[in-house]
Amino acid sequence: MKKLFASKAEKNEFISGWLFILPTVVGLVVLNIIPLIKTIYESFFKTGAFGKGNVFIGLDNYRRLFTDEEVWQALINTFKYAIIEVPLSIIIAMFIAVLLNKKVKGRTVYRTIYFLPMVAAPAAVAMVWRWLYNNEFGLLNYIRRVVGQNPVNWISDPKIAIIFLALVGVWSVIGYNMILFLAGLQEIPKDYYEAATIDGAGNIRKFFNITLPLISPTMFFVVVTRIIAALQMFDVIYMMIDKSNPALKKTQSLVYLFYKHSFIQSEKGYGAAIVMLLLVVILLITALQMYAQKKWVHYE
Amino acid sequence: MRIKKILSMTLLVTIMLTFAACGGKNTADRTVKDNNSGSNDKLVVAIWDKNQLNGLEEIIDGFTKETGIEADIQVTPWDQYWTMLEAGATGGQLPDVFWMHSNEIAKYAEYEMLLDLTDRINSSDKIDLSKYPKDIVDLYNWNNEKQYAVPKDIDTIALWYNKTMFDEAGLAYPNEDWTWDDFKEAAKKLTKSDGSQYGYALNPGNNQDGWYNMIYSMGGAVISDDKKTSKMDDTNTIKAIEFAASFIKEGYSPNYEVLSENSVDSLFKSGKIAMVILGSWMVNDFMSNDYVKTNADVALLPKDAFTGRRISLYNGLGWAASANTKNPDNAWKLIEYLCSKEGQQKQADLGVTMSAYEGTSDNWKNLYPEVNLQAYLDMKENIVIRPYSKSTVIWENYATEKLVDVWRGIITAEEACKSIASRMNELLKQE
Amino acid sequence: MDKRENKLSSHILLIIGAIIMLVPFVWMILTSFKTITETTQLDPFVIFPSKWRFDAYKSVIKQMNFLLLYWNTIKFIILRVLFALATATIAAYAFARLNFKGKNMAFSLVLIQMMIPSQIFIIPQYQMVSKLGLLNTTLGLVFPGIVTAFGTFLLRQAFMGLPKELEEAAKLDGCNTFQTFYYVMLPLVKSSLVSLGIFTALFAFKDLMWPLIVNTEQSTMPLAAALAKLQGQYGSNYPELMAASVISCIPMIIIYIIFQRQFVEGIAKSGGKL
Repeated sequence: MKKLFASKAEKNEFISGWLFILPTVVGLVVLNIIPLIKTIYESFFKTGAFGKGNVFIGLDNYRRLFTDEEVWQALINTFKYAIIEVPLSIIIAMFIAVLLNKKVKGRTVYRTIYFLPMVAAPAAVAMVWRWLYNNEFGLLNYIRRVVGQNPVNWISDPKIAIIFLALVGVWSVIGYNMILFLAGLQEIPKDYYEAATIDGAGNIRKFFNITLPLISPTMFFVVVTRIIAALQMFDVIYMMIDKSNPALKKTQSLVYLFYKHSFIQSEKGYGAAIVMLLLVVILLITALQMYAQKKWVHYE
Repeated sequence: MRIKKILSMTLLVTIMLTFAACGGKNTADRTVKDNNSGSNDKLVVAIWDKNQLNGLEEIIDGFTKETGIEADIQVTPWDQYWTMLEAGATGGQLPDVFWMHSNEIAKYAEYEMLLDLTDRINSSDKIDLSKYPKDIVDLYNWNNEKQYAVPKDIDTIALWYNKTMFDEAGLAYPNEDWTWDDFKEAAKKLTKSDGSQYGYALNPGNNQDGWYNMIYSMGGAVISDDKKTSKMDDTNTIKAIEFAASFIKEGYSPNYEVLSENSVDSLFKSGKIAMVILGSWMVNDFMSNDYVKTNADVALLPKDAFTGRRISLYNGLGWAASANTKNPDNAWKLIEYLCSKEGQQKQADLGVTMSAYEGTSDNWKNLYPEVNLQAYLDMKENIVIRPYSKSTVIWENYATEKLVDVWRGIITAEEACKSIASRMNELLKQE
Repeated sequence: MDKRENKLSSHILLIIGAIIMLVPFVWMILTSFKTITETTQLDPFVIFPSKWRFDAYKSVIKQMNFLLLYWNTIKFIILRVLFALATATIAAYAFARLNFKGKNMAFSLVLIQMMIPSQIFIIPQYQMVSKLGLLNTTLGLVFPGIVTAFGTFLLRQAFMGLPKELEEAAKLDGCNTFQTFYYVMLPLVKSSLVSLGIFTALFAFKDLMWPLIVNTEQSTMPLAAALAKLQGQYGSNYPELMAASVISCIPMIIIYIIFQRQFVEGIAKSGGKL
C-alpha cells in the first residue's frame, strides 16, 4: 500500500497547513475565482432587464467591442491618463523624497502636508478640484483673468480635459509615492555617498549613479502598481465629468465605460466584455514590465 | 496570560459579530427585507426630489394619523434613483411605494414589477381616473388593460425673467403677446458685450424645459401621435432646433462649455442670465434663493408668430407600488390617500407641486405670492404631453447627445435631426 | 556656502510644493463659509467670505446624518480590517513556514487575484450579495474584503523573513502548530500587521465603486459614497458641498495626524521587497 504521507509529522503539517489556508482559499475561490469565471461567462450573453431573460449571443459582445469607437477612445483616454499621471507623480515624488531625505528642518510637517491629499475622501477631492477648475466661477480662471489671460475650459475642453484630470490624480498620489521612495532612500547606505564625495562627485552624479540604481527596486514596484492603478481609473471621472460635458468622450476611462454599461444601462454582458479587455491590457503591460525589469532594475 | 488571550479573542469575535448583527438589524427596521416578517407595518416610500420631501412628509403624517400605518420617505437623487430601483427589482426588494416616470414605466410594466392597481382603483370611491388629465392616466396604463400607477402631479413650463435687468435695459416685461421673435430681440438687448450678462441660456440637458416647447409651438413634433414614427425630421422641428441653437451661435447665450459646467438655474441665480425657461418643479428651489426672490418674476412662454401657438410640455409623475410588496393593502391605502382629492389638495396647498387631480392646483401658487406663478397654471391651457414610447430613454439620450454637437456648432440642426429621426424610427419599429 | 544655498533652494521648492498641496483644502474651507451668491460672484470675485457663516454646515448636518455615516464607515472599516487580519495571518504563516501538498497551487490563487483588476469580480460579487439579501447591509459592504490576497502576500513576505530556528525552539518547548504561530511567530510580525491594518483601512475608506453599487440607502452608506451622491442632490450649491466635504475629511485627517508614524511605516512596508 502506497503511503500518502511519509510520516505522522508530515500528515499533521498537511492538516494544519490546509486548515490555516482554508478561509483564505475558500474566500479566494468564492470571491474571486468563481466571479472571474462568471464574468467571462457573462460576457457571452446579452443581459435582460432586471436580470431576467439573458440571451446567449456568443462572440457578439466582443464583435461590438471591437467596432465600438467609444471603447477604443476610452482605451486611449485611459492610456493618456496613465502616461501623464504615472511619470509626473513619480518624478515629483522622487524629487521631494530626495529633498526631504536630507534632514531638512520641519521634515515631518512637510511629510504630513504632502500626504494629506491621500487621506482626504476622494469625493471631496474631486468636488473641490471641479470647483477650482470651473470655467465661470473657479479660482484658476479668476487668476488667469487677473493676469490678463482668457479663461480656459480646464475640464470641458475635449482636447485638454484629460490632462487636467490626470493632474488631480498626480496631486492626490504624490504623498503616497513620496513615502515609498523615502523608505527606499533610507535603505541606501550613507557610505556610498561619502565615498562618492571623496571621489569628487557632485550632487547630480551622486543621484544618477547611486540613488537611482539603488532605488530602482522601489521605483519598479511603484511604477508597476501605479500603472495598474491608473489603468483602472474611475473615481476622478465619475465625480468630475458630467454626461453633458463636451469632454466626456475624450475622458471616460475603460472602467467608467464598464460602470456605465453594467450599472446604468443594464448591459452587464457588454460590461463584462469591456472588463475582459481591461484585464488583457493590464496583463500585457505587466508582463512587459516584468520583462523590462531585467534591463533597468538593479538588485543587490 | 492564557486566560487574557482567550478573553480578548472572545471579545474580539463578539465585537465582530455584534457589528455584523447591528448592521443587519438597522436595515431590517427600515426595509421589507425580512423574509419572516408578518405585518411589517412601516411602508418604504421612494422619491427623487428632495424639494418635495417636507410637504410629502406632512401629508403622510396626516395619513398615519388617519390609518395608523406608518411610512418612511427616502430620497435618492434622480441620477441614482433608477439604478437603485433596478437593483431592488432584480433582488426582489423594491420599495413599497415609489414614484414612476414616463421614461421607465414601459420597462417596469413589461416585466411586471409593479402592483396592478386596476381592480383597486375600480372599487375605490376616492380615486376617479376621469378626474386626472387623460394623457397622464394613459401614461401609466399598460396595453389598455392594467393601470400601474395613479397620477400624482403635473408640471408645466414657464418663462423666468430678471426684472432688474429688464429695467436697466429699458425693456418692457414679457407679456402674453410675446412671440419667439420678441423673445430673441429681448435676449439680444439684454446681452452685454463684456460677457457679464447674457439674454438667455438654453438648458442643454433637459428637453422638456428647453427645445421641446419651441418645437411644438412652431408646429413641429418629436414623435407621431400613434408613436410609430419620429417627427424629428419635420421641417418645423428642424426650424425650432435651429432657433434654439441660434442663441449660442449669435452670442446671446453663454457658450456650451459654460453651460455644461454650470446649470442654467445657477447662472440665473448668480445674475448672469436675463431669462430662463424652467419647469414648475424648480419653483421651490428658486424661491429659496434671495437673489431670485427679489429680482425675478414669471411669465407665460412666448408664442410662435407664424402658428400663433403657445405650448408648454407637461408631464406627470405617478405613484406606483411594488408587485412584491409585503403590504399590498397598506401600500394601496397610501397611494389612494396621496391621490385622493384631499391628498392632492394638500399637496398643492403646501406648495409641493401642481396636483394632477382636477381643480386642486390653484392654491399652489399662493405659496409664493411674490412671483406670478399663475403663469404656470395658465400654461395648462396649452399643453402637450412629454413625448414617450416604450424605448424613451434610449432615443432621448441619443437625441440629447446628438444635439450637443448642434449647440457646440459642430453640425447643423438638420443633420442632427435627421440622424435622430432615423435612430428613433429604428427603435420604434422594434417596439 | 554651497550647502546653505542648497538648503535654501530646497526649502523654497518644498514650500511651493506644500502650498500647491494645501490650496485645494484651503479653498474647500473658504467656500464652505460663503453664501451661494458669494461663490458665484465675479465682479468682484470673492476669496474670503465677508462673514464666516455656518449656514452651509447647519443645512448639511440637518440633511445628512453624519453621525450615522461615520458609524457606518467605522463599522465597515473595522470589519474589513479584522477579517483581513484574521484570514491573512494564518494563511500567510502556512504559506511561508509550513510544507504541505498543494501549497503552491493554492498560493497561485493568491497571485492570480493580485494580478486581476477588481472590476472583473464586481458584477458576480454584486449578484451574490444581492441573492444573499445583503444589499444595503454592512456585511454586504465588507463582502469583497473578507479575504485579502494582497494581505496574505504581504504577511507571507514578513513571515519568510524570520529565522528558521524559531519553530524548532517552539517545538522543543512543546508547542503545536497553532501555538507556535500564535505565541511565537505572530508577535514578531507586529509591524507588518499594523501595516496591513492601516493599508486596508485607508483603502476601504476611499473605496467608491463597490459602496455605490451595493448601497442605495443612506442608512448603511459609508462616507465616501454618500459624499459622491451629494453632487446629484445639491448640484451647484458649492458652500454646502464643500461643508459636507470638510466634515467628511476632518476625522480621517485627525486620525492621520495622530497616527502618522504608523501610517508612514505601514505604507512604507507595503512597498517592501517584492
